[in-house]
Amino acid sequence: MPLPGRSQAGGSRKAPLLLYALGAALMIALPWLPVSGFVVHLAQTFCYTAIAVIGLNILLGLSGQMSLGHAGFYALGAYGSALTSLKLGLPMFASIAVGVAVSLLAGVLVGIFALRTRGLYLAMTTLAFGFLADIAAQRWVGLTGGTMGLMGIAQISIGGARASAAWFLYASLGCLLAVQVAADFVEQSSLGRKLRAIRESEVFAASIGIRVPLWRAWGFALCSACAGLAGALFAHQSGFISSDAFTVRLSIALLIAAVIGGLGARSGPLLGTAMLLLIVESIAGVEKFGLIIYGSILLVVLLAFPQGAAGLIDRLRRGRAVATQAAPAAAASRHLMIERLDGVSVTVRSITKRYQGVVAVDAVSLDVRAGTIHGLIGPNGAGKSTLINVIAGLYQPDGGSICLGELPLEGLSTPQRAGIGLARTFQNLQLIHGATALENVMLGLHSSTGVLRSFGRWLAGRDFEAREQQDAMNILAFLGIAHVAHRMPGELPYGHRKLVELARAIAQRPRVLLLDEPIAGINTQEALEIAAVVRRLRDLGATIVLVEHNMEFVMSLCDAISVLDHGKLIATGTPAAIQADQQVIAAYLGTGGAP
Amino acid sequence: MTGATFLQLLVGGLTMGAIYALVAKGLYITHLTTHRVNFGQGDFMMVAGFLMLGARSTGAGLVLSIAGTILVLGAMGYLLERVAIRPLDRQRFASIGAYGWILTTAGVALIFQNTVELVWGKSAQYSPPLFSDQRDQIITVLGARLFMEELLVIGSALVVVALFMWFMKRSRWGKAIEVVAFNPEAASLLGINTGATKVAVFVIASVLAAVAGVLIGPIVTLQPHMGLVFTIKALIVASVGGFANPLGILLGGFLFGIAEGFSNYYDSQFGDVYPLLIALCIVAIRPSGLFGERSGDVR
Repeated sequence: MPLPGRSQAGGSRKAPLLLYALGAALMIALPWLPVSGFVVHLAQTFCYTAIAVIGLNILLGLSGQMSLGHAGFYALGAYGSALTSLKLGLPMFASIAVGVAVSLLAGVLVGIFALRTRGLYLAMTTLAFGFLADIAAQRWVGLTGGTMGLMGIAQISIGGARASAAWFLYASLGCLLAVQVAADFVEQSSLGRKLRAIRESEVFAASIGIRVPLWRAWGFALCSACAGLAGALFAHQSGFISSDAFTVRLSIALLIAAVIGGLGARSGPLLGTAMLLLIVESIAGVEKFGLIIYGSILLVVLLAFPQGAAGLIDRLRRGRAVATQAAPAAAASRHLMIERLDGVSVTVRSITKRYQGVVAVDAVSLDVRAGTIHGLIGPNGAGKSTLINVIAGLYQPDGGSICLGELPLEGLSTPQRAGIGLARTFQNLQLIHGATALENVMLGLHSSTGVLRSFGRWLAGRDFEAREQQDAMNILAFLGIAHVAHRMPGELPYGHRKLVELARAIAQRPRVLLLDEPIAGINTQEALEIAAVVRRLRDLGATIVLVEHNMEFVMSLCDAISVLDHGKLIATGTPAAIQADQQVIAAYLGTGGAP
Repeated sequence: MTGATFLQLLVGGLTMGAIYALVAKGLYITHLTTHRVNFGQGDFMMVAGFLMLGARSTGAGLVLSIAGTILVLGAMGYLLERVAIRPLDRQRFASIGAYGWILTTAGVALIFQNTVELVWGKSAQYSPPLFSDQRDQIITVLGARLFMEELLVIGSALVVVALFMWFMKRSRWGKAIEVVAFNPEAASLLGINTGATKVAVFVIASVLAAVAGVLIGPIVTLQPHMGLVFTIKALIVASVGGFANPLGILLGGFLFGIAEGFSNYYDSQFGDVYPLLIALCIVAIRPSGLFGERSGDVR
């Protein structure tokens, strides 16, 4: 049962303090247990390697960016720290900070490539980066010592060998804990939702106000810095590094750890790192089959267990989890608990959009009055969706202007337009598939709490997003789908998915709501429900522009209708006037035989 | 630099450029059709090089060796698509997202590297020359001493690329590939077997890698881990050339090869690094490549 005054909606959305404490206690006790020095060494390796894998996990699993060159960032961290420690005599914490800074800087640089390139290109760029770093480490002997390496890098030395090893373990453990806590928060908070939205589709992410380039570049840079921290710690572990440690093989090992542990899962990197070390230690005897084993693991895991170890464990526990989440604490009434939506007019002045010679929208002007429902109809290819996309800022017009109220939209990016109250739904429905319906709606909400404050509340074990969850729940209840709040979009019927998308748009508190074919592909009953919702939003004050082919829906709902044909505006007026318009009839039915 | 040295470097650069272009063409054709590439394309080339070496060392004739190598590589391409790429399409919502194929194809490459190492060992090996009687047959042009083998590699690569482009533009299969690339759904409505086409492009890509492997054997030393470098360079050549422009890739390959030849001449230590850096910058500044057309993400 939910505690009074607490929303149960998110399940266990708070810091797993007990787990952190248990894990840390185990590690702290380890060096004093009757184990060999090798075990302590392995525990150290586990701690810093896991840091790199956590970064990779966020990069791949959350933001969907590929890095095949993580060994490069790891190497920069290692050499950055080793060289400043050896040549400048910096104390260890300072030299490690330098190492992290160097890899962060490289991450920003490669991240700038990441802005311009994606998918395959990013994979190529990172692969090349790792390769270049490897070459530098091998051949720039004057600096790196090449394969002979650098020796005498500062090590922790407190008391005897055993105590020194223990303290290095604690230092690595401290770093790991900090990174794991931060990563857990990212995964559970709005930060993770935004990263997932970007992964799903950048166009979609921009339309809900996310500044995609900034997020991608910083995400990439911070994950690189994680690898840098791991490398820096590695350099001080045994006081010796050589270029042999930083080949593409390391990049692959880190990827294997991320994949085998379970991409996107919080426990994935720790599980994966443990398994990687196990594999590395057990293939030490059969070294000549090393790459076959690595390659086979990648293939088998990705093909047969794409969710990794964390996914397998999750599947075993799933049954219980669903049972405890059955009754969401939603407002039962179908009341939208939002105050008025401050709708504004949309003024479109002679907008033109061409695609390589084809004029998709030809000098179209529209006046959408504030707080009305304005329909945009026309045969296929008339330019309706193009016009919507120009208003949303996705396409740049070749001419003309658009104003929201008095505010000209020219020069504003899609996220900026979303920021001033322009929300939209997509013709081909955009939702995050790896997040629940509720989280999808929360994506649209504007959080009033700062990141640091919500981090504090999350760490303190309070339900840090209780208000957002309640707001999102209310919107779902308003649309009559509160019962699907904890289901994944993939599990829902199409009509419900459309409603979830609409709920997300409502969560943005739109002043202007652009609906691109809101009832395409759903049944009559659901269409009637959507019509009621749209009407209600209008009554709350929102301005709504909708593109739809279903004439009954459009005619019964709209206050005014504009008709496009071959990119030109051929009529504007009330539904009755449009239905009687000869030009419109001709556009839809043809002019009837030869003149 | 004397004119003769210049000419020698130019021919050397063109030779490597031709190899890069062949490997990159394989990336191009699968990317065009499936938006996926084999991250082990260079390793496939390496496998072909060793197969050729193995076949020749058993005393098999040249034509038989080449045919066998091409056949094996074609089968490898087929298996790659069926085993490591297509099954991923069924897990659209897996956390790895749309890029699982990068890691599975890289995984296959690792397995091949290891296998070749087990069979032929780690050390570098030369394949017997294809066209000449002995290794260093040289002709002198304008005072420059040019390897016969290199000139013939350039010629053969050009012939294969020309054949490839003729195939894409003129043959019915090539057109089918273009249609699937443009719109798979429309293609299947037109009666084109899109599944078969997607396998076919990977077979073609592997055959191109086979040709590259056959040609490269006699001009560089073969070793099991050489593939990665070629994958990287071919990827870069394909992106500098613009992934959508077959002629651009050919030009990009030659340019890259020549730049590398001269850069190695001036700096023997880091000579191979500069062309890579320059090419990366080009890709950053012009993501659609030097010769590519701009295309928007129309959703």
